[in-house]
Amino acid sequence: MTSSAEEIPAHDISILLVEDDPPTNWRLKDALEKAGFDVEAAMTLAEARASLQKRKPRVLLTDLQLPDGHGVELIRETRARLPDTEIMVISILGDEESVISAITVGATGYILKDAFPTDIAATVRELVAGHSPISASIARFIVRRTQSTAEPPPGPQLNTTKLTPREIDILWGIAKGFSYAEIASHLGMSKQTVPGHIKSIYRKLEVHTRGEAVFEALQQGLIKL
Amino acid sequence: MTDEAKPARTQISRSRSFAARLAQYVLLQAVIAALCILALRHPLHEPPSRYLAAAFTLQDRGATRAVTLPAFVPSRSGMTDPADFSTSFDWSKGGEEDAWSVYVPRFTNGIEIVVNGIEILDSRRDPSANRPDRATPEIAVIPVSLLREGPNDLVIRLYVWGPVSGFLDRLFVGPDDTLRPYYDERTLLFVTLPMVFAAWQGILAVILIVLWAARRHEPAYGMLAAAMALGAIQAFLQTTIDEPAHPHLNAALIASGPLESGFVLAFAILFFTRRWPSYAALIFVPGIVLTLIGLFGSPETLRRSFLFLGFPAIAINLLLLALVVAWSDLRKQDVPSLLLGCAVTILMTCFAHDLLSLLQVLPDRRIFFSRLSYSVMLVAIGAGLTWRFARALNRVDGFAAHLVIQLREAEEKLRASFAREQEQARAVALARERTRLMRDLHDGLGGQLVSIVALSERREDTSGIGDAARAALKDLRLVIDSMDDIGGDLMLALGSWRDRVAAQLRPHEITLHWKITPPGLPVHPELRPGHVIQIVRLLDEAVTNAVKHAGAKTITVSIATLRDASGPYGCITVEDDGKGFAPPSSGEGNRTAGRGLRNMQTRAARCGASCEVISGVTGTRVRLTLPHRFPDSEAVTA
Repeated sequence: MTSSAEEIPAHDISILLVEDDPPTNWRLKDALEKAGFDVEAAMTLAEARASLQKRKPRVLLTDLQLPDGHGVELIRETRARLPDTEIMVISILGDEESVISAITVGATGYILKDAFPTDIAATVRELVAGHSPISASIARFIVRRTQSTAEPPPGPQLNTTKLTPREIDILWGIAKGFSYAEIASHLGMSKQTVPGHIKSIYRKLEVHTRGEAVFEALQQGLIKL
Repeated sequence: MTDEAKPARTQISRSRSFAARLAQYVLLQAVIAALCILALRHPLHEPPSRYLAAAFTLQDRGATRAVTLPAFVPSRSGMTDPADFSTSFDWSKGGEEDAWSVYVPRFTNGIEIVVNGIEILDSRRDPSANRPDRATPEIAVIPVSLLREGPNDLVIRLYVWGPVSGFLDRLFVGPDDTLRPYYDERTLLFVTLPMVFAAWQGILAVILIVLWAARRHEPAYGMLAAAMALGAIQAFLQTTIDEPAHPHLNAALIASGPLESGFVLAFAILFFTRRWPSYAALIFVPGIVLTLIGLFGSPETLRRSFLFLGFPAIAINLLLLALVVAWSDLRKQDVPSLLLGCAVTILMTCFAHDLLSLLQVLPDRRIFFSRLSYSVMLVAIGAGLTWRFARALNRVDGFAAHLVIQLREAEEKLRASFAREQEQARAVALARERTRLMRDLHDGLGGQLVSIVALSERREDTSGIGDAARAALKDLRLVIDSMDDIGGDLMLALGSWRDRVAAQLRPHEITLHWKITPPGLPVHPELRPGHVIQIVRLLDEAVTNAVKHAGAKTITVSIATLRDASGPYGCITVEDDGKGFAPPSSGEGNRTAGRGLRNMQTRAARCGASCEVISGVTGTRVRLTLPHRFPDSEAVTA
């Protein structure tokens, strides 16, 4: 959320926006188009799937509650079919429930529905540049899951065993409101590497689907068809 | 039926059942006594009559007469003048057996056997044979060298001492092989068996002494232990014609029967009635008198007084014992009293038999069974004690099982009540949380939504709607955020707040400086969502004031831990570079600012924190000093 180092011109970035509430859909579309992005808007899961058959957007922005299904399905499909597409979830409150469930199926960022237009464009630009945004409350949710508890906590399941101690330290810093610069200097690393770490954290939290597991096994020659 | 008639009816039925029980008991004892008499009348085995020597010439105190055994001679004092019973028997060499014996089954008090003028046995040398209460038989082998072909002379010299008259039962002369089994049988019955029972009595004495020592509050066991000890000691004492080491003590012990029976009676009174009437001590009087006579008087006086004092005392004690035991059995109907009751009946029957035999009322062979039948009582006492012990053990087991059940029940109850309490505590916590949530939503979100409604109805100017809606969303996020468990680390809540403030300030082009002095704020385990929401709202208020009224370009939030005498405490400062505000009531904007200030003070007070606001032309500084310890959430809800 700090620097924005975009190299790709905005009009080269194609975006598929999936949002069922028309005013919100218009508002987000306006904000992104004004920033120069190439935006295609869908209102339903079916429309989104049809669009994805035709073209490969650079960025997928999707709401979770859709009239004909759940955004999580769309994210999982897109992640499997188009690994290069950046996926962001549109959240009303930025709460753990929605954001974490999206992260575990392959999303690497989120935007708030009521965010200011400039912020929306900036977030997308940073994501394309490889900087995943993370809020203090999301970081807090993840690090609290890394602490062992007697009984499984409520909320979405999250496997944090792949996270390194350094990544957990970064998350603690974010959760407590420290800036990237402060975290970097405290952990003895470059400030520019922090956003990369965050994207890596998202990737590690992603739950690999069974299909992917089968694909990997095939690649490694463990299964013969 | 009237109410008064009822108890009367019960009384009648009770006395009826008592009479029935009494009849039952008496009948049982009568049957036992009858069986006992039958057994006593049953003749003992005797050798073949061809070896019987019955016709004797008695030479006693100068007089000579012909007698047929069994025969009695009057009692006398002293050992000097025995009654001589003379007879002759035929013996021929080369008969079936060479070794011949003289077998005397019963006599009182001592005999000498003389064959052909040579003495072959003196029973007074056999200590156990000198006790008149024990029917000790004698057998004497006649040396072959003494025997003559044809008739041989046999003289039995009967010594009599004491008040009891002399007695000589039918005797047998014949082959030793034929006579000895009969002798052995009698020895087993009248010598060995009493010794075995005496040993058993000794063991009982030890057990009872231990029992009494362990349970001193039950003197009944002490009484019985004394009786058993006395009985065991006297049974092993022997009377000899030679002078014993302590003749008087010996005599006193031999005459201890009344004392022993007194102890048994005392035991029965204590054991079955659990009372000790003061006159009950009288039962020991005859025994003590006899003991004193034994210790200080002559043997002759002792023997005489035993006959006239000892026997009646034993008889009375036995009778009382029978009554006490019968009463107890009728009342309690338990095993020990019934066993003892039957034993006492047997003992009494035998005692009566012996007494009649002694007084020569009964045509008899003068065999005393009292001591032998006393063993039945010992067995009854042993069985009764064991039964009691087993029942006590069962009771202990039952008690333990009962305790276990009670404990389990108590545990279950406790667990249930604990679960209920937990449930209640949870319900209370939930209710409190709900109340807080409602108030928070009412304070923030509710008001903002109302404001949106109001703005949208004005129609001509809708510019404020967006701001109000954003504020509502922001507050919703705050409420949701505050619900999260942050483990008492306020820094985690401030981290989220920073994100929201940054988003809020971005469109106003106000720079946010966030300064944390490591390690930030101390951790407060007592921190509750209610505290968090008050602090964050207070800080929100400070930021909103800076944005709306001060026209600031930069807002600086500083977080640090300070320290004083009572420990570390947190301090959060919000500073802006705006134009500050004049004291309230100088304008529209300042009035809202004034209300905001009052709100901030209230919120700080609810958390036990203090809020200090300094405003000048170069900016405003809100300094929030957190407490060392956050107050209970009860106080926050209040």
